[in-house]
Amino acid sequence: MARSLWTGSLGFGLVNVPVALFSGRVDTDLHFRQLHAKDHAPIEMHRFCAEEDVEVPYEEIANGFETDDGDMVILTDAELATAAPRKTRTIDIEAFVDLDAVDPIHFDHPYILMPSGDSEGTLRAYRLLVAVMGRTDRAALGRFVLRSKEQLVLVRARSERLTLTTMRFHDEVRPTKGIPSPAKRDRPSKKEVDQAVALIEALACPWDPERYEDEYEKRLKRIVQRKRKGQTVEAPKREDDPSPVPDLMAALEKTLADVKARA
Amino acid sequence: MPKSIWNGAITFGLVTVPIKVYSATESRTVHFREVHAKDGSRIEHRRICTNDGKEVDYEDVVKGYEVGKGKWVELTDDEIAAAAGSQSKRVDVDHFVPAGEIDPDHYERTYYLGAGDKGRPAYALLHAALEKSGRAGVGRWVFHNRERTVVIRPLDGVLALHTMRFADELVDPGELELGRVRKKPTEREIKMASQLVEGLHAEFDPSEYEDTYRQAVLEVIERKAQGKNIEPPEEAEPERADNLLAALEASLASA
Repeated sequence: MARSLWTGSLGFGLVNVPVALFSGRVDTDLHFRQLHAKDHAPIEMHRFCAEEDVEVPYEEIANGFETDDGDMVILTDAELATAAPRKTRTIDIEAFVDLDAVDPIHFDHPYILMPSGDSEGTLRAYRLLVAVMGRTDRAALGRFVLRSKEQLVLVRARSERLTLTTMRFHDEVRPTKGIPSPAKRDRPSKKEVDQAVALIEALACPWDPERYEDEYEKRLKRIVQRKRKGQTVEAPKREDDPSPVPDLMAALEKTLADVKARA
Repeated sequence: MPKSIWNGAITFGLVTVPIKVYSATESRTVHFREVHAKDGSRIEHRRICTNDGKEVDYEDVVKGYEVGKGKWVELTDDEIAAAAGSQSKRVDVDHFVPAGEIDPDHYERTYYLGAGDKGRPAYALLHAALEKSGRAGVGRWVFHNRERTVVIRPLDGVLALHTMRFADELVDPGELELGRVRKKPTEREIKMASQLVEGLHAEFDPSEYEDTYRQAVLEVIERKAQGKNIEPPEEAEPERADNLLAALEASLASA
């Protein structure tokens, strides 16, 4: 099992469940490294003081914050840590919300919460939370401190486990004001909407995440293989930009006829 | 006025919907610069060759993928860009799924789609049809030389586009080993815990949750700027739940 990123407890009323946090992500990306062109020696980034032109060890690095007046306020990591709330080892559940009332725009990173240790008491309390949240389709909103930053998180039951999703705060979601949207006169006729809905229904299917594969990573792997064998790699040509169709209704009808013919 | 970061069109079948893409989220974490602790001077990151320990100019840097220990395949930026596939300016939507079925873990980033200058009626039609059908369009989008699976759905009067994580990028929670219990939670415990959940039930209102940490960081900066002392807080240890039923009862009593 992967190493946990954090251990602490999940607080639910007076019930505290010791938990360990695991990443919910698998890194499937191909990673490239910077190399020195002449001999392919890997390149490392080193920190230098711009004033003195000398290398600075990590312990001598602090956090600089530039104020609006251009002054630099310097904080050590220890000083910065004082901003973190006192309780850094608990996830406090503040409320239970309906999962479908949370807009996906707030979801950030996925994690998994597992019981920490295998005492009967811990496992039972963990299972109790899974059972209760799974039954009601409710998710717990809470806060905790991960890597000295406080996170708003959503905890829910999935596959008999608890998962945790970090959330974007409301002021990190931009307003839609100013995004160009159609005017009243652009409003489609009922006939057009019905036709478009018919097309959507003709192309409807259940959500199946396994259906989508990372074609980019697959192509990148092939490119690395070609290059390794000394073959050339050509960039694909740019396609023509799509142009809007003059007759929306005709396009809808033609597409729907095509979809039906294929089915 | 927000600035668009990509222009193109959604296509499904023969229908083309011109769009402009805008970022829908922004990080508001307080950002610090790395500085030299003793005098606050700027820190620069310099590229150092691990072979001769000397600084390397940007022009002498290439990208490599390690295929064996110390064995690299060099790739140019153009070659890496070739993996993007067709450099088209379209988001091809080829099917529609019930939006409510998508697991939250798949959502990665959100963008707003604005109506392109030409073809606003097409945008209005797609918006109306998605809203009426309760479905979201699934398509592929090449952005920054990278192809992604995207979901398009109506949101707050505009269309939103979400980039999605692939299934193999996510850990299946069911694969993590869960210890066995001698005694499963009893009906009574589940009932009491459910009451507790109901007691804490709230409508989700994102504006009720402020980033108090961000505020605290700004306050620490302010205190430091005034030359005040900064004391570290003490850690509080949480209590352990040894008696589940007693803890539930006490929680309910105090709720």
